[in-house]
Amino acid sequence: MKNQVLSALSTTLAALAIALPAAAQNGDGNLVIKAGKVITNAGETLENGTIVIQNGRITAVGKDIEYPWNAQVREFPDAVAFPGFVEAHTTRGMDRANENIDVAAFLNVRDSIDPVNFYYEDALRAGITTINVQQGADCVVGGMGYVVKPVGMTVEQMTVRPNSGLAMSASPKRGKSRATQAQALRRAFDDLHRYLDETVQEKKEGKDYATREAMFQGREPDEETAKGRPMTGSAWKVEGLELVPRWELDEKQAPLLSVVEGKTRVFLFCGSPMEVMTALSIASENGFLHRTVLVLDNSCWKAADAIAERGVPVVLDPNLMYVERDPLTGEEQRTFVPKVFQDKGIEFALRSAGNSGQSLWYQAAICMANGLTREQAIAATTTVPAKLLGLGDRVGSLEKGKDGNVVLFSGDPLSVRSFVQNVVIEGNLVYDRATDTRAMHLDSGAQPDNTAPYDPNGDWKPHCCDDPTHEHVVKTDEGEDPQEVEEAPAKKHNHPVDGDKDGDKDKDADKQGEDK
Amino acid sequence: MMTPGLLLSLALGVGAPAAGTYYADVVYTGDGQTLERCAVTVADGKITALTPGVSPKDDAVRVKAITPGMIDLSARVANSPYSVEETYEVTPDFRVANTLDLFDVTWERHLQSGVTTVMASPYDDNCIGGLSVVLKTGGAKDVEKRTVRADAALRGAFGSQPSSRNHPAYGAPDDIFSRRPTTRMGVEWEWRKSFFDALYAQGELDAGTKVLRRALTGELPVFAQAWATQDVRTAVFLVEEMKAEGDAKMRLIVDCGAEAWREPELLVRSGAAVVLAPYDHDGRTTDGAFYALESAKTLTDLGVTVALSSHYAAGPGSVLGAQAGYAMRGGLTFDQALAAVTINPARLAGVDDRVGSLAVGKDADLALWNGTPFELSSRVVGVVLDGDLVVAPE
Repeated sequence: MKNQVLSALSTTLAALAIALPAAAQNGDGNLVIKAGKVITNAGETLENGTIVIQNGRITAVGKDIEYPWNAQVREFPDAVAFPGFVEAHTTRGMDRANENIDVAAFLNVRDSIDPVNFYYEDALRAGITTINVQQGADCVVGGMGYVVKPVGMTVEQMTVRPNSGLAMSASPKRGKSRATQAQALRRAFDDLHRYLDETVQEKKEGKDYATREAMFQGREPDEETAKGRPMTGSAWKVEGLELVPRWELDEKQAPLLSVVEGKTRVFLFCGSPMEVMTALSIASENGFLHRTVLVLDNSCWKAADAIAERGVPVVLDPNLMYVERDPLTGEEQRTFVPKVFQDKGIEFALRSAGNSGQSLWYQAAICMANGLTREQAIAATTTVPAKLLGLGDRVGSLEKGKDGNVVLFSGDPLSVRSFVQNVVIEGNLVYDRATDTRAMHLDSGAQPDNTAPYDPNGDWKPHCCDDPTHEHVVKTDEGEDPQEVEEAPAKKHNHPVDGDKDGDKDKDADKQGEDK
Repeated sequence: MMTPGLLLSLALGVGAPAAGTYYADVVYTGDGQTLERCAVTVADGKITALTPGVSPKDDAVRVKAITPGMIDLSARVANSPYSVEETYEVTPDFRVANTLDLFDVTWERHLQSGVTTVMASPYDDNCIGGLSVVLKTGGAKDVEKRTVRADAALRGAFGSQPSSRNHPAYGAPDDIFSRRPTTRMGVEWEWRKSFFDALYAQGELDAGTKVLRRALTGELPVFAQAWATQDVRTAVFLVEEMKAEGDAKMRLIVDCGAEAWREPELLVRSGAAVVLAPYDHDGRTTDGAFYALESAKTLTDLGVTVALSSHYAAGPGSVLGAQAGYAMRGGLTFDQALAAVTINPARLAGVDDRVGSLAVGKDADLALWNGTPFELSSRVVGVVLDGDLVVAPE
């Protein structure tokens, strides 16, 4: 008991230690936003609306509402306020996403997320405020994911929800056949089952580690710490697991046990419609069908009936148009995948493509063009992914009680002409396009500060010192006179020959032009 | 699942030229006019009337917006390395019209995206590849019938592609690619040599020289692929050099032009036009060229004629209409973006008397939209080509 109090205390202290610098960095999580238009995504759109955020949470949204007299107010009269987009599944923003082990349930993206990864900057630029980072699909069981916000200097600061779900794949890992993959996935649960049986048996026979350690130390086994709890779950159970305290279980097996007990969400990748069947049957055999989110390749719309029957939500492939060629006629058959899932009543979330352009606003716009309503398209990038991540009460819309995440667009969020101007996360202004040098570069080619500008006229100067009064002598192949160099004033700098390749070429090219 | 509709309408469309009325809340004519609640009447493959401010008739096909059928001068339609002659680097008199596969699926992709006219050019494995052709993307499976303008341009390429597969022969040449040029400067040298030779050729001229002479006099525009700044410079300087040398009136259209924005004054000075590559979200394109989002605006503001291209019409977000959308994201006005996919390319290819805008007497090529044109949240749902409804709105 004392231990528990201590550990709770230390956790609180740790949380404080983490929270303080974050708050100091970005503000205090208190902000009032006034925008020309507020799309709450909860049924209403307000002209000249106000959003009040206190301690990182939205406390009020409306027109002409009251807010504390001393609140910091930011006005965006030309902007459209929108809840941030929610990325249901990505393998970006981390170091290498696939471990070379089949069943690696013990891995955690916490150890791989790179807070300064370019991806998070890009996410802000695209108005994404909540991201589920998962292991890649080249696995049998890949490991545990994290839901993060794209701001913060440490994973702890970024975390929205730790251990968001376990990544698995029904699609052949490199070097495996589809049959081997299915068998490996089944065997992962068989192995768990056998391990639990053996552990319980050892406990009963007194051959377990804790008992043997106590015997070795010449004491009675500690009754207090030896309490376990019975296994829950809907598919299969190991009787007598309550005899084994959970801390004695192998950490490698714990995440899978949690899955079978229905306590952990599973993101199960399917690379073809036939794998959907494998995935669904393994999920129901092991009691986690109700916690499963299928992450689908775009061919998997063909298995939509089976998915609909079981009521499993899905995350769709970023390539929304499925193209197939009729082998006989050569004609292209095109299927707009989200429409199929919409029509079958399956909950689906969209996700960004691997490049930064085909982001969630883009996916939602493409859905609108191809027969989904605006509401459906926006839901698939906000409220539905929020729900799939178990964050339906925290993100996805601008409502009282939700996280203070607001994206300010220059126009309609789904318009090709709109840009993200500002992003507020948990009440702190974290992105301003006016100071985004990368955006400036992408737009106009403008060169960020302290980098070499592009100079087509070949006005090449060696960058060896900042003093503009220094006279630079560039050695070339022709007419090089060592004497001359030696006699040069001491202030002159000499530079190697190979540095001026580009300069010479461009000068020649320029001459051609000037001859006219 | 658009194909059944397309097939059905194709089946209906073949035969007598259809007459019909197409009604939209807004019709953008492509020459600056925006007509609200407008009916477009077509007969015998031509536009016979534009009637704004009316209510739709019962038999009219109704959509949200109508623009002219779009024009892609740099469409990659059914030509491949296999249709380029690999034994010569300069083949000015070769015609791409002889290598087009109208049975390929790429035509249908362009057609369904609302592109009704394309310029097809030889594949860029040769320095000077040959003669481009402007033709419709649908209709009869017959190149001659689809052709709008034969010998529309002389096509060639600068940069790395013409030399990319070549290598010097060590010992005995072992394959067809043991050949020059193997560098950028070699490619440029082939161009210059060809034009100088053509300029000073005496006596009976061969077919290739005749074509080069037509390019030198400005009868044929030189349509040259150049992604990076250095290649744009090379193209401009070569043309300027030939103008000075032979008092010629060469016309240059830079294709792909990803880095044309870096030195727009060069293009202004030389009067060259630019066809821009499809927008890539990170600006990264071929030959290491950086394509800035505001390229089209930068060039248009300085008076350079700009046309846009999608190359492959590969996905819903990379079709020509979406390219116009990205150009607007980069600052073009709607009218400028519309011109860049309709009347500008029509003028560059010399086919603006027939296509590129909606006017009485012009070809009845229409793109029918389900929303605001060029937004990613809308798309082309129907296409009228030469008066036939070849893609029917669902």
